[in-house]
Amino acid sequence: MNAIVRRSSWRYFQYHPWQLVLTILGVALGVAVVVAVDLAIESAQRAFRLSADTVAGSATHQIVGGPAGLDERVYTRLRVEIGMRRAAPMIEAYGTIGTETLHLLGVDPLADTGLRPQFADVDQDVMRRLLTEPGAALLAKTTARRLGLRVNDRFTLKLGGRSASLVLAGLMAADVRARAAIDGLLIVDIATAQELLDYLGRLSWVDLVLAEDATGTALAERIAAILPPDAELVPTAARSASMTQMTRAFRTNLTAMSLLALLVGTFLIYNTMTFAVLQRRSLIGTLRILGVTRAGIFRLVLTEGMAVAIVGAVLGLLAGVALGQGLVRLVTRTINDLYFVVNVSELLIAPGPMIKAFLLGLAATLGAILIPAREATKIPPRLALSRAELESRVRGVMPRLAFTGALLALGAAALLAVPTQSLVLAFVALFLLILGLTLLVPLAVAGLAQLPVQLAGHALGIQARLALRGIGASLSRTGVAIAALMLALATTIGVGVMVASFRASVADWLDTTLTADVYVTAPSLISSRLPAHLEPDFIARVRALPGVAAATSARRVELESQSGVTQVLALDMPQSHAARFSLIAGDAETAFPEFFGARAVLVSEPYAYRHRVQPGSRIALRTDRGVVSFPVAGVYRDYGSEQGEVAMIRALYDVQFNDPHVTSLALYLKPDIDASKAIAAVRAAARAGNEIWVRSNRDLRAVSLEIFDRTFTITNVLRLLAVLAAFVGILSALMALSLERAREFGTLRALGLTPGQVRSLVMLQTGLMGLAAGVLALPVGAALAELLIHVINRRAFGWSMDTLLPPAVFAEAVLLSVASALLAGVYPAWKMSRAVPAEILREE
Amino acid sequence: MTPNKNLLTLRGLARVYKEGDRIRQVLDGIDLDLRAGEAVALLGRSGSGKSTLLNLIGGIDQASAGEVHIDGVNLTELNERERTLFRRRHIGFVYQSYNLIPTLTVEENLLLPLELNGRTRAADADAALRLLEEVGLRDRCASFPDRLSGGEQQRVAIARALVHEPLLVLADEPTGTLDAETGHQVLRLFDRLVRERGKGLIIVTHSKAVSEIADRVLTLKDGRLTEHAAEVLW
Repeated sequence: MNAIVRRSSWRYFQYHPWQLVLTILGVALGVAVVVAVDLAIESAQRAFRLSADTVAGSATHQIVGGPAGLDERVYTRLRVEIGMRRAAPMIEAYGTIGTETLHLLGVDPLADTGLRPQFADVDQDVMRRLLTEPGAALLAKTTARRLGLRVNDRFTLKLGGRSASLVLAGLMAADVRARAAIDGLLIVDIATAQELLDYLGRLSWVDLVLAEDATGTALAERIAAILPPDAELVPTAARSASMTQMTRAFRTNLTAMSLLALLVGTFLIYNTMTFAVLQRRSLIGTLRILGVTRAGIFRLVLTEGMAVAIVGAVLGLLAGVALGQGLVRLVTRTINDLYFVVNVSELLIAPGPMIKAFLLGLAATLGAILIPAREATKIPPRLALSRAELESRVRGVMPRLAFTGALLALGAAALLAVPTQSLVLAFVALFLLILGLTLLVPLAVAGLAQLPVQLAGHALGIQARLALRGIGASLSRTGVAIAALMLALATTIGVGVMVASFRASVADWLDTTLTADVYVTAPSLISSRLPAHLEPDFIARVRALPGVAAATSARRVELESQSGVTQVLALDMPQSHAARFSLIAGDAETAFPEFFGARAVLVSEPYAYRHRVQPGSRIALRTDRGVVSFPVAGVYRDYGSEQGEVAMIRALYDVQFNDPHVTSLALYLKPDIDASKAIAAVRAAARAGNEIWVRSNRDLRAVSLEIFDRTFTITNVLRLLAVLAAFVGILSALMALSLERAREFGTLRALGLTPGQVRSLVMLQTGLMGLAAGVLALPVGAALAELLIHVINRRAFGWSMDTLLPPAVFAEAVLLSVASALLAGVYPAWKMSRAVPAEILREE
Repeated sequence: MTPNKNLLTLRGLARVYKEGDRIRQVLDGIDLDLRAGEAVALLGRSGSGKSTLLNLIGGIDQASAGEVHIDGVNLTELNERERTLFRRRHIGFVYQSYNLIPTLTVEENLLLPLELNGRTRAADADAALRLLEEVGLRDRCASFPDRLSGGEQQRVAIARALVHEPLLVLADEPTGTLDAETGHQVLRLFDRLVRERGKGLIIVTHSKAVSEIADRVLTLKDGRLTEHAAEVLW
């Protein structure tokens, strides 16, 4: 492109810096959110993968046991009978030192040399201490430094309710790459681990290295032949994959939210770039007269846009990294709350997400500026093209836009009708619906702006009529700004309604499920393969407490198999407690007798959805007796786990599993007993040094809802960012409008409008724009909420819930809309009211 | 008459606009011949189609019927891009409202047509500066248009219309916004520069003074062109 033409274009933005800044901000905000979410997810994933890889070492397979772990004699037989040398036993658990959660690994340092050299790569003295000294442990240098521990320091480790005193025998050093892998690991000898966890004679699993050829397969068959029924040989990759799979829906949801922010940003870019073209229509007309071709004009606008996009995207990447530091904490906390324990020590700035976000930013800008660029080429090489002519052209396009919008919305409906569980397809439908409804906005705004004038006529007063006509007369600007704000608000409403509905359903479910007065649980962290349990004598003491009228117990375990992890809940309770289950499929008359009679299992709703199970189906579980098929009597509502669970009565569990343990107790108190007194009595019944979680019904309910709210913090942050992008959008549109209508304001001033009246005129107009966006967002938000609740949530988590339409969410959105629009109007109003009419009129 | 002998030849030129169901005939069978170095003043009431005629000659607009030949090239046979390139090379425009690029300095405004034509040598830049000197604005070459008076801006616009040595200069009310004295100065300058360079000039005007510099005076009325002696009109 011609250098002078380019210079002219650059100077245009120099003269309108706010416009340049807002456009760049639009790109930057969108890119920042995308990159931040991606980096945060990637960092958590990488930390998990790194940790899984480190723990697995070079093992290709694992022998896993039932809920009570694996008998250590399996390992002995493996070495003695099969002569397997590349095998190592492992005990895994999570413990805490102070507030930091550590990954405890009990290893056999001698056997581990071949599999996990980093654990065994310590000097002989340390190795000897590890093997011989009770409580000797290893930490990574970085972890020890963080915890303020030095070699030979003693420290207290809390493990599933009990405390143990350990001594730091040595430090694991590693190169930079491996440092992150071993950070957060606490290594002890396997015997120490068994003692610490009261797990004598048991292992979490045994790692093996099997060749990938025929000899490996033959060896695997020989190993499988000697395994007891409760054990299974599984490929190491299977567990890692199933853990990654667990967070898939969570990741997809976050990514969708970040793309939404980018979409809002795209509107912003479109708005400012269109304005840049419209404002220069006379300049572009002159360039055309001087012989710049249409292609030349197209290239000019495209180059401007892409230059802005590159600067915005680079700034977005930088801001994204900063934002990612905050988001990674929220993502990690949510993963720890819901899925598994992962330590993320730092944000990983991986090139993949950076390049992806950068390209997305460029693509969004390109998409946003194609229309104004094309519009620019249509500016004829003359000067007569008036603002009114342009607006009438926009008005002419409106029906077509609305028609396209309606088609997109219909396309979304068609996609939703496809019988599938695909989450990605659901999000595509969501975006089509959003885009479709957004395209209807200009037509709706034109109608909304006309309606009061037609209804009230002169009764409205000149200012209100001017404000309304101003909105209708500048649809090319106001339409897009209102659409962007509407989009952000509709998202706010949609997500707000979804969260409120979800919360109400969870609260209902908690009311149904939590029927006891006091709950006693052995503390445990999610996804430890050694589920914590309550001591039998403690259980006996609690049951015998004078205030306890009745007690039921629960055992919660995870079963691993090649097909993934299944959560099993074994309940010891009479049929009179059947109300604990809210059946959503199956006949209570027959289902409960089957369940309580130990003849069938119940499955939770997510389990039924994911495994396509219904009453009458059979499911296969790997028990300590081998693979057993269980009939399903019913499906119950459960929001405890998105993976789903299988519930069985304790009698059935005891037949199938060699696991006598109990995870939690539910106590029903005698009528005159106060819950707090009962809690104190339960605590007193616990052995010194043994930590237990005792909570009243009310507290447990509150804690559960607190965790629920915490998991939506990140969603709220992303919602706010979308609103922020929309705010910038409306500010940009208002600035543009004020500039465009400067002559009109100048004339009004010349005719006698005071600066205050001009100010209130601008504010009235912006307020009305905000109101229009808010009003339009109400139905769109409700539609989004329906989609989020009944399609996205269902496909992501398998949960169904009733829609709750809290008026507060809708009222808040309208208030937010008007407030942000008014806020955005302050500066333009001030600027216009201060302008000297003579100057404006002369300049024009 | 053979078109080749003339710089500009219009034959049966017509322009029709559709206004809803109505058809408005703005130009109706215009014939015109213009030789190199000749200046023609075009008069007519507002809305008579003077600007439309200029736009058709400049290849900005397309005729409904008839032909426009400039230097032997039939513009009506060219597509939009070809017309743009032809205009870039061979036509200079001067408008009532100057139409300088506000974001370019005076010098850059002058260099723009040269650069568009690929003329970026130092000699071309020198020629542009000389032209600026001729219009008396050499010392303002680094100024932006909004710092210049109306007369000064129009002088820059005239220089810009001539800098790339077009065959034909089209001017639409070049003195319309200027006071009488300034308008007169600008006009004299315009006349001198165009004649010195032997360019063809069509100038749309309402002003007697403007038509006085023209070799011929034409009036556009009811879509048709009539030639008059200047004194008959005033």
